[in-house]
Amino acid sequence: MAAIERYCAPTSLEEAVELLRVGDVTIVAGGTDVMVQSQIGKLQFKPVLMNIRRIAGMAGIRDEGRTIRIGALTTMTELLDSALVRDRLSILRQACDHFASDQLRNASTLGGNICNASPAGDTLVPLLVLNARVVLVSKPNGSVERRALPLAQFFAGPGRTHRRPGELLTEIELPAPPPGFHGTFFKFGTRPALDIATISIGLGAVREGRVLRDVRVAYGSVAPTPIRGPRTEAALEGRTVDTATIEAALSAAAEEVHPISDVRASDWYRSELIRNTLRRMLNHVHQS
Amino acid sequence: MSIKVEIGFKLNGVACRISVPADLSTLRMLREELGLTGTKYGCGEGECGACTIVVDGVTMNSCLMFAADCDGRDVVTIEGLAASRRGERLREAFVKHGAVQCGFCTPGFVVQATRLLEKHPQASAAEIQRGIEGNLCRCTGYRKIVEAIADAALPDQ
Amino acid sequence: MAATDPVVVPQSLIGQRIPKLDAPDKTSGRTRYIDDIDVPGQLHARILRSTEVHAKIRSIDTSAARALPGVHAVITARDVPWQRPIGVAKDHLPLKTDRVRSLRDEIAAVAADTVEIAEAAVKLIKVDYEPLPILSDPLDALKPDAPLIHPEPRGEDVGPHLKPGAPVAFTGKPDNVAMTFDYAQGDVVAGEAESDVVVEDTFRLHYVTHCCMGVSGVIADFDPKGNLLLYSNTQVPFLHKREFAELLGIDPGRIRIIQPPIGGGFGSKLDIYPFEPIVIFLAQITRRPVKLMFTRTEEFIASPTRQPVLLKLRSGCKQDGTLTFRTAETLHDNGAYTSWGATTPFVMMQTISSLYRVPHCQYHTKAVYTNNPYAGSFRGYGNLQATFAVEAHMDKLADALGMDPLEFRLKNAQDPGEVTPQGMHFKTCGLKQCLSTVAARSDYQRKRRENAARWQDGNPVKRGVGMAAMLHVGGGAKIYPSDGCGTILKIDDFAHVTIITGASEIGQGSETVLSQLVCEELGLTLAAVTVVNNDTDITPWDVGVHASRTTFIAGNSAIGAARQAKAKILASAAAKSGLAAEELDLKGGHVVRKADGERVVELGKFMRSLHFTDKAQLVMTTFYYEPPSKHQDKQFKGDVSAAYAWASQVCEVEVDTDTGIVRLIKVTGAHDVGRVLNRLGIEGQIEGGVVMGQGYALTENLMVEGGITRNPNFRDYKLVTAPEIPEMDISFIETMDGEGPQGAKGVGEAPAICIAAAVANAIYNATGTRIYAAPFTPENVYRALHGAAEPVAWNAA
Repeated sequence: MAAIERYCAPTSLEEAVELLRVGDVTIVAGGTDVMVQSQIGKLQFKPVLMNIRRIAGMAGIRDEGRTIRIGALTTMTELLDSALVRDRLSILRQACDHFASDQLRNASTLGGNICNASPAGDTLVPLLVLNARVVLVSKPNGSVERRALPLAQFFAGPGRTHRRPGELLTEIELPAPPPGFHGTFFKFGTRPALDIATISIGLGAVREGRVLRDVRVAYGSVAPTPIRGPRTEAALEGRTVDTATIEAALSAAAEEVHPISDVRASDWYRSELIRNTLRRMLNHVHQS
Repeated sequence: MSIKVEIGFKLNGVACRISVPADLSTLRMLREELGLTGTKYGCGEGECGACTIVVDGVTMNSCLMFAADCDGRDVVTIEGLAASRRGERLREAFVKHGAVQCGFCTPGFVVQATRLLEKHPQASAAEIQRGIEGNLCRCTGYRKIVEAIADAALPDQ
Repeated sequence: MAATDPVVVPQSLIGQRIPKLDAPDKTSGRTRYIDDIDVPGQLHARILRSTEVHAKIRSIDTSAARALPGVHAVITARDVPWQRPIGVAKDHLPLKTDRVRSLRDEIAAVAADTVEIAEAAVKLIKVDYEPLPILSDPLDALKPDAPLIHPEPRGEDVGPHLKPGAPVAFTGKPDNVAMTFDYAQGDVVAGEAESDVVVEDTFRLHYVTHCCMGVSGVIADFDPKGNLLLYSNTQVPFLHKREFAELLGIDPGRIRIIQPPIGGGFGSKLDIYPFEPIVIFLAQITRRPVKLMFTRTEEFIASPTRQPVLLKLRSGCKQDGTLTFRTAETLHDNGAYTSWGATTPFVMMQTISSLYRVPHCQYHTKAVYTNNPYAGSFRGYGNLQATFAVEAHMDKLADALGMDPLEFRLKNAQDPGEVTPQGMHFKTCGLKQCLSTVAARSDYQRKRRENAARWQDGNPVKRGVGMAAMLHVGGGAKIYPSDGCGTILKIDDFAHVTIITGASEIGQGSETVLSQLVCEELGLTLAAVTVVNNDTDITPWDVGVHASRTTFIAGNSAIGAARQAKAKILASAAAKSGLAAEELDLKGGHVVRKADGERVVELGKFMRSLHFTDKAQLVMTTFYYEPPSKHQDKQFKGDVSAAYAWASQVCEVEVDTDTGIVRLIKVTGAHDVGRVLNRLGIEGQIEGGVVMGQGYALTENLMVEGGITRNPNFRDYKLVTAPEIPEMDISFIETMDGEGPQGAKGVGEAPAICIAAAVANAIYNATGTRIYAAPFTPENVYRALHGAAEPVAWNAA
């Protein structure tokens, strides 16, 4: 493990991005990913360790009408306990309920889960369904700058994002879901929570009678990053959910997921699970 | 060797000042620097819950928490809880219900249970089972642990 | 000295719910396990393990490690030419010499001021390997071109890094066969000829590991005179004392083992593993106490596993349902070195030959070396594997006959008094009651019929019930020269009892049950007892915690010492009171008149009256209990235990055929335990054993590929968590064993043994698909259901 030469715990965003501008920083929030990865040698500490947990204004959930903003330091438990999340962003709440354990939910932050960029990341699939954007703040030229990026464009590969070294992910913006929008998150596992997802699926849409509109589908653990499923969405958009539509959606899904074999499952089994799970989710829509 | 960081925090109700290496875990600080061995090393990766402590009122895996992040916070370990009313109720219940065999996981369960009961005073057996899903036990099969926590949830006779 | 009020005779302690004596301390975090113990002046050790699965060691360069500030010693085999091989077959040197045979192999070790410095030093040790071909499939081990794991040493095996005369390995082997076992009763050819139905299948049982919550550790401390104090979590302290003495070439009398409270055992600590001798060597060389604690990853990689088994079973029966024969052949993956896993055939042949009445039986095991992890002893000790096969065939035979599987089992179940062809005398036998009880309480027969009728109903979610039973030793196992246990008992001036027992407490509650038995004899409450059980300098000999023997053997030993104390007290009380000793008893903390319970004298007062006189007497007694069992002869025949235990379980499962997820909904169990002593303790043992069995059947899988453990962590090695446990309905059948303490028999291993077997039968009942390999993880089940599983096949050499 590399030696840390400086430890800082800034209390303001300005202070934090100034430290990032200088460079060579490992960022830590809850620590649940950083600590494990440093101990197994997956992460080498940079000379500066910056604890961002004390930065003011980076936690909490705000309803601004057309946009809902979630501070990057909001913990999974805070999301689970939030009435706003329960009422307006229920697909995200479902993911938080399947996340790890109470102890880990109390420490893990939404920003941390996003920056860890695991293809199996529990919150990432619902956030893709919700058309989330990440807000990145930096101070490259003396003044604070901000940019927002759709989450789907933020992931670069397994464990990698397009966050620039001088940037801090400060919040997640979600366009308020349209009226009648309902989302379901399914994570495969034998336990309610303490599991890395073998596969996960997020499905969201507005139901108009038997027809689905504004369909969003996202998949976890079947690609190098969590992904949206545009072909699956196209097969469902504006259609009545009947047997033919379901079969078309399943074919489309098979084309756009590319699972691998690893210690948790084989690629073949993951494909089977995607098909059977998506079928079950759509049948549920069909029947209700 | 990483740089040392000076921190001040409340530990089991008493103010504490200590200097810790920046990369040290809270678990190792408690056990090795502060002599509080009730919190256990089970896995070091947040999967077993043997290292559970309370920080600012919520439970955490101390193996995953940087010691430096205790600065300014309120930390309670099994040693502090054992002396509290809730801790006593849980101890009586764990003893009475046979929820302890080798006992290695027990402090982690007791700490987690205090938080669980504070948040869900009327937790059902199913809610208790979910509430302790981050704590592993190899000896008891969990049944008696769930019964003990349910018993400790009841109002004092 | 008499009070005149009659005593209200207190209720017997037997069968009560007695809280564990050490529970209050454990619940408060006060108990100090090995990791919580620090010896002043101690150094910290870390071990360098091989990074190659199979390789020759060309050279080891420790110079950079030695030079690191804070390092007190760096040792390799060269530095300890006095080291001797350890393990069941003495094929295992603690520090490897000319080659490594598995990924856990210990090459070097460091003792330093801190764990960090020791870790850093280990990373500086350079090893030059010459890779050798890897043998990772036991089926390849006997092929003519198989790499030899323990070849006979040749001249060039002794490299320049070894001192002349140092042991290279042991004498080596011309092939990869580590051990073989053969057993026969009757004539299987004749048995097959009489059969109307014969079934044959191959079963595969997998690697799992103990996952004790407390990782392994040890502290070694030599005093200036060269006496060794070892803080060790061993389950067999007296056996280990002797073995360490041989290993070190010192007098066993100069070794003292103290056993700190243990964070789980389950059989993992019944053998000597390299880390203990290595730490002793470091302590010898540095002349400082040395402490080593494993990391969890190391615990996964370097601990013994359960014995993986490939088992071919052929079973037959007559049309009327009578079993005729069983032929079993097993291939044991012995791993790189031999530990207790290789000897699981002792137990497996018992089940194959005697679980239900079988006149003819033939059993054969080959244990072969590979470069895989080696197996040790693990709760059930081969019985989970054997029962898995036997009980699959019981269902298959019954279905082939069109006979109800419960009736089929009852027809072949033994009765009390039977002596098996292997020579086991079932003085008490509750097998039939166990079977009938679980069937009735789980509604097994009706559910089994109804579930089978639903196979084609189009619903992807199915329910199934499956039954299995088990037989295990319940009164010790005479495999060592003695299967006994000694107790020293003293009663002080305040009627406080100290029980000094050889038996170890490994979390199973032995201290509590021994106290309970002694207090029952002496009429005292449990508050009046202290148990000392963890120091070989103080406690009398006990062979160790294994074979579910502790309650039975240590219990009888403690009762023996207590009865002697009682006899002494009553004899003295008789002399003083003018009543005959037979007219007196001990109850409620008093000497009382037996007939009506009338108090004669309070016991503490009486003890003082014995002590503080001219002819002072203290009450101190000893007793060594050796069970009336026999060693097996060379054909493995003999009444090896003083009692036998049975259990039966019905498992109800729900199978989601779209995903392969099998949920264990309910376990209905019945255990013939002889007699319930501590009801709270025995329930805890059963519940814990059931969940351990659940893990073995459904969730746990140590994935070893090419000699590499792919999932050495809790993230990917799945223990059962609290939300996953089944509903449990447990009954106790009390057959009142004549030899057992208060009639009790052993139970520690029983509840884990038949879960996998019952679950396999339940999955068949749910889906019509029989699965022959464990674990029944979702992918494995899904593949089996959809015809995508690799068949379990064995083309025996």
